[in-house]
Amino acid sequence: MTAIIPLLPEEAGAATAPVRRRRRGRWRLLLRTPGRVFGFAVIALFTLMAIIGPYLYPRNLPIDPSAIYAGPSLAHPLGTDFEGTDVLALIVTGARYVLLSAVIAAAVTIAIGTAAGLASGYYRGLADSSIMRVTDFVLTIPGFPLLIVLSTVWDFGSPYSMGLVLGIVGWGGLARAVRSQTLSLRERSFLEAARGLGLPGRHIIWREILPNVAPYIAMNLLLSITGAIYAEVGLFFLGVVPFNTSNWGVMLNIAVFSAGAVTSPQALTYLLSPLICILLLTLAIVLLLNAVDEWFNPRLREI
Amino acid sequence: MTAHLTAAEQRTRPAGVAVSDLTVAFPAGGRELPAVSHVSLDLTPGKITGLVGESGSGKSTLALALMNAVPKPGLVTSGSVHIDGIGNVLSLTGSGLRRVRGPGIGYVFQASQNSLNPLKTVGKQLLDLGRSHGEKNLRGLLRRARELIEDMGLDAVRVLSSYQHELSGGMRQRVGIVFALLLNAQVLVLDEPTTALDMLSQASVLEIIKRVHRDLGLTTLVISHDLGVVGELADRTVVMYAGRVVEEGETQGILRDPRHPYTRGLLAAMPRITGDLELARALPGRPPDLLTIPRAGCVFRERCPLAMPVCADSEPPDTLSGGRRFACFAAAGSAGATSAGHAETEAAS
Amino acid sequence: MIVATGITRTFAGRGGRRSTPVHALRQVDLTIPDGGAVSFIGESGCGKTTLGRILCGLEGFDGGELTIDGQPVSRLRERQRAPLFRRIQMIHQDPYSALNPTRTIANILGDPLALRARQLGKPDDWIAGRRAELLGLVGLDPGYVLPRYPHMLSGGMRQRVVIARALTVDPEVLVADEAVSMIDVSLRLGILRLLRDLRSELGISLLFITHDVATARYVGQDGELYVIYRGAVVEHGSTDTVIQRPVHPYSQCLLSAIPVLRGIEEPGPDRLIPLAPLEERVEPPGCLFRPRCPFARDDCAGRQPPLGRLGGTEQEHACRYPQNREVVAVPAANA
Repeated sequence: MTAIIPLLPEEAGAATAPVRRRRRGRWRLLLRTPGRVFGFAVIALFTLMAIIGPYLYPRNLPIDPSAIYAGPSLAHPLGTDFEGTDVLALIVTGARYVLLSAVIAAAVTIAIGTAAGLASGYYRGLADSSIMRVTDFVLTIPGFPLLIVLSTVWDFGSPYSMGLVLGIVGWGGLARAVRSQTLSLRERSFLEAARGLGLPGRHIIWREILPNVAPYIAMNLLLSITGAIYAEVGLFFLGVVPFNTSNWGVMLNIAVFSAGAVTSPQALTYLLSPLICILLLTLAIVLLLNAVDEWFNPRLREI
Repeated sequence: MTAHLTAAEQRTRPAGVAVSDLTVAFPAGGRELPAVSHVSLDLTPGKITGLVGESGSGKSTLALALMNAVPKPGLVTSGSVHIDGIGNVLSLTGSGLRRVRGPGIGYVFQASQNSLNPLKTVGKQLLDLGRSHGEKNLRGLLRRARELIEDMGLDAVRVLSSYQHELSGGMRQRVGIVFALLLNAQVLVLDEPTTALDMLSQASVLEIIKRVHRDLGLTTLVISHDLGVVGELADRTVVMYAGRVVEEGETQGILRDPRHPYTRGLLAAMPRITGDLELARALPGRPPDLLTIPRAGCVFRERCPLAMPVCADSEPPDTLSGGRRFACFAAAGSAGATSAGHAETEAAS
Repeated sequence: MIVATGITRTFAGRGGRRSTPVHALRQVDLTIPDGGAVSFIGESGCGKTTLGRILCGLEGFDGGELTIDGQPVSRLRERQRAPLFRRIQMIHQDPYSALNPTRTIANILGDPLALRARQLGKPDDWIAGRRAELLGLVGLDPGYVLPRYPHMLSGGMRQRVVIARALTVDPEVLVADEAVSMIDVSLRLGILRLLRDLRSELGISLLFITHDVATARYVGQDGELYVIYRGAVVEHGSTDTVIQRPVHPYSQCLLSAIPVLRGIEEPGPDRLIPLAPLEERVEPPGCLFRPRCPFARDDCAGRQPPLGRLGGTEQEHACRYPQNREVVAVPAANA
């Protein structure tokens, strides 16, 4: 195959911008709008808190019986709780459990959901129907009540077990969504061409299909993080999980049920602090969501 | 003024359309990029005008400007579109515009095969169209729809009760024309009426366009990327490239003796059913988009076999010669015609 | 060489129990010789695309046999079929969906080449060289296209990338299904010429599927033309014979539908008036084309005429009353 046919080259390189450096372009996306800057900053702050927070304070936070439910002051910027512990310290040390379990839950959801969705969408047939039966079963599990039941027999003191359980009951929806995306991609001619060229199935799944469903998965990753935060904070708030750990949910529970923060202004900062943290975190995640599409779609990224 | 005339009277007098110095620009990166640049054009009343251009030539933008419907963020920055009996369309707004779209200009959109609502029958959608234009006589509207559909060789009862998916591509295209003509439009604009149709459907849709044009006494503009479609259909042909009209004249004359090198190139690049295939020549380069249109000089010079130094400096002016208008330095030189001064009768009426 | 005999494909009809099955292909026989050019023409829905997909192994068939290089496909296992079908590559109609939007051209060409390098036992640095060579072959500048994503290229360039990708596996046959219909008119001829040159220079046979007879003539003037109507071949012969002297009324209708460039061409003296749209739901007895045929006679309802050379014609046809008609445009006298 040596003959080079003289052909009319269709446009060589006139008037075209150089191809952009990919990596830098992507990171810049996160900072393109004020909303994303805010979202990115808040998430970075909480992540930092979760990583180094517990090292900033002693293992057992000091109590101060003389300042129970104290208001904000220089010594206690967010006031204190029922035993005079600094609320800021509680927030900072509590971040790790909340974030870690949420990230684990999301990771488990994504891993199982994506794998199941891709496999059943691509292989179809028997694999598809068996995976989808399992998915339907998972979808019918009422997650929250199950957690309440589980908590009676299982100690959720560790964020790992909490995240694992949340993830395992939560991947059904994603698997279905990824499957339908995969099925519709399967009809696109570039996948037909890949099969026709003899490219192996795993190449097609990981290199051809996955990048196209990635924005979808990333979107779900962020949404399932918020979902997991709500679920676990809710569990602690309801008090169905033993409080042997500092946690934003525990704070909320005590603030409402013991301190009467809803009726007495004293413990207002004690109630509001975890609440605002949760809201900030979910808001930040939602603000970052709209960068996801551009992150994965080269067409949008370029503009 | 002519709004008092009945539909029948209007039909006996086809309306002319005069586009003058029209520029439509799209803002991008702080600049305004013209998709249509200083275009002047007459649609002769009662004739079919064909507008040929490739993607990015601005032909669809021009057509939308005829209805003052340039999509945002596009902006008409200069010029006017005058339609007989309506006035300057570009100065109309709101309800005035509503009276033009439909009753004044019937527009068949690009890919109108897919522009039907999939959840409603064709008949329901026709009634919706009538109601939205305040038509009181819905019975009469349906009667007219039925006549139009039968005219196109379709079974009216079946079509009216059909959903989009029950009709073939050619049938949907015909329904699109029915929609455009339902409100007694005098000017019919068809944007790529046969793209995505096979040859047979294309031939029958072209035949139908010819027929309704003649029977209803319309002024028709057919936009196509295909010189063949325009050659089959149009009395006059306008060739657009990169937002400019590069050549305009009688269709037969243009096909027989194209003056502008782009028109020549397009014609030479058509595979033909008879004759020597080796005569077919591909055009080098590719059509520019908004960002790559040359900013100075002739927009076609980068692909032009006749390009001269002057082409890079200034945009060629219109040359008028024997009822033909073209914008090319090289062709003007060989034609021996002078620009500007040679003010021949461009369009008689 | 590909030989198909009696290929039949039937789809279950839509719309519940009362629906009739759709006959996409009815007993199609065809041969694609090595290095040859074969074109299928017909209106949309006639089965020409299905036939092309069957030949590429993208779809199965219910009856008949497909023989690729002497090997009957239906007797092979899936594992044995794959390398056989790899020799037949499809050029899709839409270059926009034929390239993965999330991958650069370098990857799009590199992946199949990496596979090919393993098969041929070539070193890894062979890939880059071969990639540049293939891009040169299809008229693209590697430095320009390789780092780019598909959306940064024009339709014509994309289609060239698609062709280059098909060439990575050294195919013997290219199946081009309406390969230029979505490309700007001024760029179409370049693609058609590329396909023609690949055939003459590399000896790749070409199956060209289109509704546009003129493009079929351009790429395969010395080849064979199959006119397909409702899943059956109704006329088959050398390209110029069928275009200049068609005998089946359906071929004549198709050829009459080509727009006439008035001024330089005049309509053929026997040009036929365009047809009513196809009613796919009706399965008439006898000749399938009878309801739309301008020359139908009463006994056409009797039996579907077989493909043959009735009336001593040069080409095969399936009409009981073959008659030569000059329907194609002729050059104008004064041009």
